[in-house]
Amino acid sequence: MSHEESATPGFEGVPPELIGHHFDGIARQNEAMRLGMWLFLATEVLLFAGLFCAYSVYRFEFPVAFEECSRHLNIPLGTLNTVVLITSSFTVALAIHFARTDKRKASAICLVITLLFALGFLGIKAIEYTQHFHEHALPGKYYSSEEVKAPGAAMFYTLYFLMTGLHGVHVVAGMSVLSYILWRTLQGRYSSTYYTGVELGGLYWHLVDLVWIFLYPLLYLI
Amino acid sequence: MAHEHEHAEHHSAIPYVVVWIVLLIFTALTYITGTQHIGKWALPVALAIATAKSALVAIIFMHLRESSGATRLVFVTALVFVGLLLTFTLGDVATRFSLSTPAGAPFGTERSQPEGLLEHEMPAE
Amino acid sequence: MRLSEADSQRLAGAAAPRAPSYLVDGTTVMSWLNTRDHKRIGVMFLVAVLFFFLLGGIFALALRMKLLQPGPFLIDALSYNRLFTLHGIVMIFLFLIPSIPSAFGNFLMPLMLGARDVAFPRLNLASFYIFLAGAALAIWGMVHGGADTGWTFYTPYSSTTPTQVFPILLGVFILGFSSILTGLNFIVTVHTMRAPGLGWMRMPLFVWSIYATSIIQVLATPVLGITVLVVAVERVAGFGLFDPARGGDPVLFQHMFWFYSHPAVYIMILPAMGVISETVAAYSRKNAFGYKAIAMSSIGIAFVGFFTWGHHMFVAGQSTFDSGAFGILSMFVGIFTAVKVFNWVGTMYRGAIAFRTPMAYVCGFLYFIVFGGMTGIALATTSLDIHWHDTYFVVAHFHFIMVGAAVMAFLAGLHYWFPKMFGRTYHEGFGLVAAALIILGFNATFIPQFLLGNEGMPRRYYQYPEHFQALNVASTTGATLLGFGFLIILIYLVVALRWGKPCAANPWGSKGFEWMTDSPPSTHNFEEIPTITQMPHDYRTHEPPGVIRVA
Repeated sequence: MSHEESATPGFEGVPPELIGHHFDGIARQNEAMRLGMWLFLATEVLLFAGLFCAYSVYRFEFPVAFEECSRHLNIPLGTLNTVVLITSSFTVALAIHFARTDKRKASAICLVITLLFALGFLGIKAIEYTQHFHEHALPGKYYSSEEVKAPGAAMFYTLYFLMTGLHGVHVVAGMSVLSYILWRTLQGRYSSTYYTGVELGGLYWHLVDLVWIFLYPLLYLI
Repeated sequence: MAHEHEHAEHHSAIPYVVVWIVLLIFTALTYITGTQHIGKWALPVALAIATAKSALVAIIFMHLRESSGATRLVFVTALVFVGLLLTFTLGDVATRFSLSTPAGAPFGTERSQPEGLLEHEMPAE
Repeated sequence: MRLSEADSQRLAGAAAPRAPSYLVDGTTVMSWLNTRDHKRIGVMFLVAVLFFFLLGGIFALALRMKLLQPGPFLIDALSYNRLFTLHGIVMIFLFLIPSIPSAFGNFLMPLMLGARDVAFPRLNLASFYIFLAGAALAIWGMVHGGADTGWTFYTPYSSTTPTQVFPILLGVFILGFSSILTGLNFIVTVHTMRAPGLGWMRMPLFVWSIYATSIIQVLATPVLGITVLVVAVERVAGFGLFDPARGGDPVLFQHMFWFYSHPAVYIMILPAMGVISETVAAYSRKNAFGYKAIAMSSIGIAFVGFFTWGHHMFVAGQSTFDSGAFGILSMFVGIFTAVKVFNWVGTMYRGAIAFRTPMAYVCGFLYFIVFGGMTGIALATTSLDIHWHDTYFVVAHFHFIMVGAAVMAFLAGLHYWFPKMFGRTYHEGFGLVAAALIILGFNATFIPQFLLGNEGMPRRYYQYPEHFQALNVASTTGATLLGFGFLIILIYLVVALRWGKPCAANPWGSKGFEWMTDSPPSTHNFEEIPTITQMPHDYRTHEPPGVIRVA
């Protein structure tokens, strides 16, 4: 694994193309990147907050329909997906841990497992979506399910598809980020002196998990 | 950060394993409480468990425990503003006068009908 | 502040070899389009926002021309609806929001912090191109049919009107990304790129205001993003989230929309306040009176600005409880703004005021923000708002703050920093004439609108009763004066760019930190990173020139 290291003061052990020369050292650069990532995550939280807000309002207005609809979702599959996503979050945490302790191979394996879990999550979600299509449990004007007829059922599915859809988009985005990190790991770009890339990619994946931790009970359980 | 090199040496994976197991236990717990239909407590219980789970993910998996004050502040501020959006919007919906035409009903519908099915909610086809 | 030997020598005019300025360091088109230099990105943003300001101004003049006559005149009703929508969208999303932060903020903030660049230079360039992409999409929609919803996109009309709302919504969504990335970049820059000795309580007040603005950009813009995205989905797929016929709640749309769009007016006005804090100190030759109060009130406005959005919805079906709460909370913004106005006047008091063009705009700004702000307090009173809601009174209030205050500050900044950016001076006489014309024209345009609104003329209407005509003609006359004022500025600034007298590094003798280096600065800003040893605008010290030197 080729791995040229720089000797720029303040940036020892960092691949040259990753140095921001306007910083006075790698510590400052890492801090900037970490803070930048957290700010980005904050914007993601607020992006979802809009939909959570809509969910709360309509749940308040249609309590009966929301309760009935959530019982008609496939709770076992939803729970399985929760376990899958939590475990993938765990493997990403391990990947960062191994990157930071110079265990490159273990780090790569953890990333591969994470990506497989992510695919699994999308697969299970696809099975659920197929069921909804068969039941005509669809958003807004497309709703014609026989299962729940209380007013507001169509609104529940509107929110269900918008929220899980937006989350799904984030899963796909997270997978692209993790694939890139995996490629860089295999190239030997990360080490105990520089693992910021893995850390930031991992942060994004944890956020995807965080959102699901709230979506799961709100959509499936109550 | 100066502590980065220390972590490289002393860093242990045990906390991650513990958190993972706790998260799975919480998931089981929320599944059980959620499917038992415990009435008005279902929502607070489910949200409390979800908050605990996300706190664990944020603090341990996402390393907020060892982050700088600025990153913590960013995260907390974001949550405060989510709370703000929800509070005032729900505050509005909860304190509005109730419409004589219930939400989702066609014009002319009166609230005299009992809770449940309104005519227009019948599937079109 | 202490400067490196090389920097002081160069500033003192010694014959030290001068690094090429950022303007000539690479002269090909690609060297601009592919630059990472925050100064070049700032200049590109400046050119872009000035173009959109011109475009929005032309739309406004067309509207005013139509309103000369109470009946149909010049343009038909649909075109009129499209024009006021385009005027709003262009002025707000393409001019006011990026104007001061993205153009001046980019150019000046690293200079003021003693940094070589912003924290993420590549992201900065990306932000510019995302801005262009969003603008291009929105303009494409405007050319291919336009929209007639007003810039607020209220549902359910926006999800049913046959006009081209979809591309414009997507354009706004993309513009939001640009705004978020710029804000994110600035926050990280302030946290990590300050020069040695530059503690938080020594930061220039412009940086404080940009920092507060960035917080709003990062926290509020995503909510607008998801809102316009959902409306776009509604248009295409009919999910019915905001459609009352399907159980949706249009007032929820307004909540989500104003959660962004009210704080967004602070995205527009806070940087303007920062510009005023800089210029008022520079031209009064006094350090800012109440530095801490001005800095903290910026953060205060950013915070309290999030608690006021419901005052747009007093008559929209919002609960009286929420309306009352929002009405009271809205007035807190007045307190923070008053703190600032008090301190600016305090800065001028017993200062050695140099009444140059920027100072003329500062005086205009103070007048407009006080009157605009006071009418805002009146509008936040729920009972009064029921009378004024959706009338020209609101239009005039909004324009007093957004054009009166924000554009005055933009012009003050443009004149104050013109030598910094281009190393040349403009014609002072023309500058003062144009400033007088603009302030006069602005009053003539919008004071009649206050009166019209109070008499009950609703906004956004194509036709109006004949007894409103006299005031409408007065307003259009004022708008024409305003247009001439801007035209004069455009001409003498373009002339100054090419033929203006080359100026010294610090032609105003200002002690703002951005004047620590050459005008125009070299690509890397400083030979060596300076060490900051004093507050900005500290005119009490008699430190030998180096920095403060008139050619």
